Amino acid sequence: MDSPPFLRMSGVRKRYGGVTALDGADFEAHAGTVHAVLGPNGSGKSTLLKVLTGVVGPDAGQVRLDGAPLRPRGPRDTLAAGISSVYQELSLVEDFTVLDNLVLGVEPSRFGLRDRRAALARSLPWLERFAPAFGGRVPVRERVSDLDPGERQVVEVCKALVRDPRVLVLDEATASLRRGQVEVLFEVVDELRARGVLVLFITHRLAEIYAVCDRATVMRNGTDVATVTVAGTPEAELLELMSGRPSAGTSGSRRTAPVAETDTAPTAPARTDPGADPAAPPRLEVRDLTGDRLHGVSLHVRAGEVLGLGGLQGQGQSELMAALFGAGRRTGGTVLLDGAPVRPRSPKQAVRAGFCYVPGNRGVQGLALGRPILENLALPSVGRRALLGVGLSRRREVAAARAVAERVNTRYGSLDDPVSTLSGGNQQKIVVGKWFPTEPAVVLMDDPAKGIDVGAKAEMFDVVAELAASGAAVLVGSSDDRELVEVCDRVLVMFEGRVVDEVSGDRLTEDTLIASAMHVTGADVAAAHEGHPTRLPDPEPRHAEEGGA
Amino acid sequence: MTTTLTARRLTRDPVVISGVVTLLLWVVASLYSPAFATWGHIVTTLTVASFLGVIAIGQTLVIIAGGEGIDLSVGSAATLSAIVASRFMDGSDDGFLFAVLVALGSACVIGVVNGIGVLLFRVPPLVMTLGMIAVVAGFIRLYTGGRPEGSAAPLLNQLVTGDTVFGVPGVLWLWLALSVVVIWLLRRTSFGWRLYAVGANRTTAHLSGVNPSAVRFSAYVLSSLFAGVGGLLLLGYSQNVYTNLGADYMLNSVAAVVIGGTALIGGVGGYLGTIVGAVLLTVLSALLRTMQIGGGEWGTHRARSSSAWS
Repeated sequence: MDSPPFLRMSGVRKRYGGVTALDGADFEAHAGTVHAVLGPNGSGKSTLLKVLTGVVGPDAGQVRLDGAPLRPRGPRDTLAAGISSVYQELSLVEDFTVLDNLVLGVEPSRFGLRDRRAALARSLPWLERFAPAFGGRVPVRERVSDLDPGERQVVEVCKALVRDPRVLVLDEATASLRRGQVEVLFEVVDELRARGVLVLFITHRLAEIYAVCDRATVMRNGTDVATVTVAGTPEAELLELMSGRPSAGTSGSRRTAPVAETDTAPTAPARTDPGADPAAPPRLEVRDLTGDRLHGVSLHVRAGEVLGLGGLQGQGQSELMAALFGAGRRTGGTVLLDGAPVRPRSPKQAVRAGFCYVPGNRGVQGLALGRPILENLALPSVGRRALLGVGLSRRREVAAARAVAERVNTRYGSLDDPVSTLSGGNQQKIVVGKWFPTEPAVVLMDDPAKGIDVGAKAEMFDVVAELAASGAAVLVGSSDDRELVEVCDRVLVMFEGRVVDEVSGDRLTEDTLIASAMHVTGADVAAAHEGHPTRLPDPEPRHAEEGGA
Repeated sequence: MTTTLTARRLTRDPVVISGVVTLLLWVVASLYSPAFATWGHIVTTLTVASFLGVIAIGQTLVIIAGGEGIDLSVGSAATLSAIVASRFMDGSDDGFLFAVLVALGSACVIGVVNGIGVLLFRVPPLVMTLGMIAVVAGFIRLYTGGRPEGSAAPLLNQLVTGDTVFGVPGVLWLWLALSVVVIWLLRRTSFGWRLYAVGANRTTAHLSGVNPSAVRFSAYVLSSLFAGVGGLLLLGYSQNVYTNLGADYMLNSVAAVVIGGTALIGGVGGYLGTIVGAVLLTVLSALLRTMQIGGGEWGTHRARSSSAWS
């Protein structure tokens, strides 16, 4: 590989507000290779590829493709340059046929009319190649809405291939595929490699990297750490590179201080003692919960305890909270609140039972942006203060809203201002604060500190601690392992809809969490390839360490 | 500083803007025809506006509730309520309350069906309520045989047209009372706050423990109920009914709501704006008719029953 690299990205920087996503990352890859990009949550690998595909404009840095500089103004330009991407989030039009989706945006035309024959000629070979992934059929004229999620993902891959790419980006493209479909995809990837296409591959499954990739670049903290040849690198070494320490779950005693090093927050939140009393009966107990993306989750949280949900993104953490809150599908299992079974069928019933929920996407799910701060704060509890459940007193509402705003330390102009006039951090405090008057027994928070600045984050963690101190059982999901270490008493690591590890006490460090999340990934896929698709091996002696504080 | 801020806010407030436009229209009308400036004419204009205003109450609620909410069947609900009431009253005060309840009940059935169609079967509100017009028209034909019978109870007529103070008819007092109730409902009840929240962001409301479907269902039923009240007022005013009594109100109620600053996307606005919108539309159509522009269909049937319009 002494030839000059086909793709070269150098010194790429990108900041989102106060968060540095890419901090001078370099990346090189050669044509005719399959190149993996690896790294923990928030390491910048997604942003790097978004820069490459033109979805995100970098603050600094250069991209050269085949020796020529690439300065895309958007995805259209990179597509023209031969970079085609398959995203996890589906980009198909559900009401169109598969064929129409495949040529969407690149429709062949004759005399200004669509040329269906040419479209078919371009699409059919790929669909036929993937026929085994569609169960043997070639669904040219089927509507996308009639396909199952795995098949849609395959259509997504075909869509990228119809564009005849020189660089194909597979961003978690295997996540929703079945094993047979993955095999077909890997065969096609081999063929593409033989034809000189550069395939960039992002996955959380280490076994897949060993199955198809030639080289791998490991990202950490917004920069590239190392690029290695996959065949000559043992799994343990990859894990070390990702977590940055030779840990991988080996040493349990070392409580290094990555928190203190990097935490610019003025106050380390007063963390309550784990569960106040470890012998106390759990406030919330979940047994074998199943539902969307949940394959039997069991956990318990004591009053006053903050339990974290960690692991890689999208492993069922959000779905678990939604299911507990009656907002997501729940097909089986038991939920006990203070020993009594609860089964809320709607958020309304959940709120009545004592649950509250801070959704992950505050703009879309957490706030009525155009309405006043006052109404947003009052919404969950407005019925409780109303006379006969109906009549409101403005004075009482204002007093209640003021009290909450003070407790969560929100800065605002007037309670009658639309909540959209607040900063992101203050908006998030409204989303959390509105639950205080309901005096929740269980607090479910999905990424409560997402996208807010460091100062507001510290205050948010204070709020979490205060909720716990008031006797609530708090469940916090976060994609940021550092946050989990800071606020939680214990962290459960989730993978593919199950709890696979529990980290607490001295082992509760960022490194352990990263290692646990990644290591389990490898173990699971290895097991899956041996023909045990669902059963997870007990991750070594880690469970034995439960409550090892 | 704060005064300029308040001033700026006022100049952007759609209710204020519509109010100013209404006044300007009235001034223009008065210059064109001095009769517009007389007390009697003002009262008559407001009286005509009151029917639209009452029927548009429910339209306001449905539109605030969002989800492409709109109720095109308000005119049908008004007609049905008036026809049912006139048959049960049949020109007599006996069983007055019963007749009113049956009339409003039949109007509410329309709202219930609308609500079920929109919320359970996910029919778009525009389609559902538009289709409802045909359904109600068919029912009315069946019920009346094409010729509605009966007439308003004298009590109802007295309630609507009876002079009270300064020649202000009862219907204006009724409109005032209903307005106070509706504005209170929107601003000072948990239902009102939930209605705005559902309209502004249904997901947020749902995840805050509100049942958005129940709120929107209530809005559709209330819409038909208030339209039914409007129909009764129309009956009391004109004493007799005909099968397209409320037809004019379908789009005019939407127009009144939108002119008053309630956004069709939901979650924004209020009833005060609708009042202004109803008056604006009435002044405008009276002016246009006086200038003999346009067909002036809006309000013509009342011109027949009100000498002030000749």
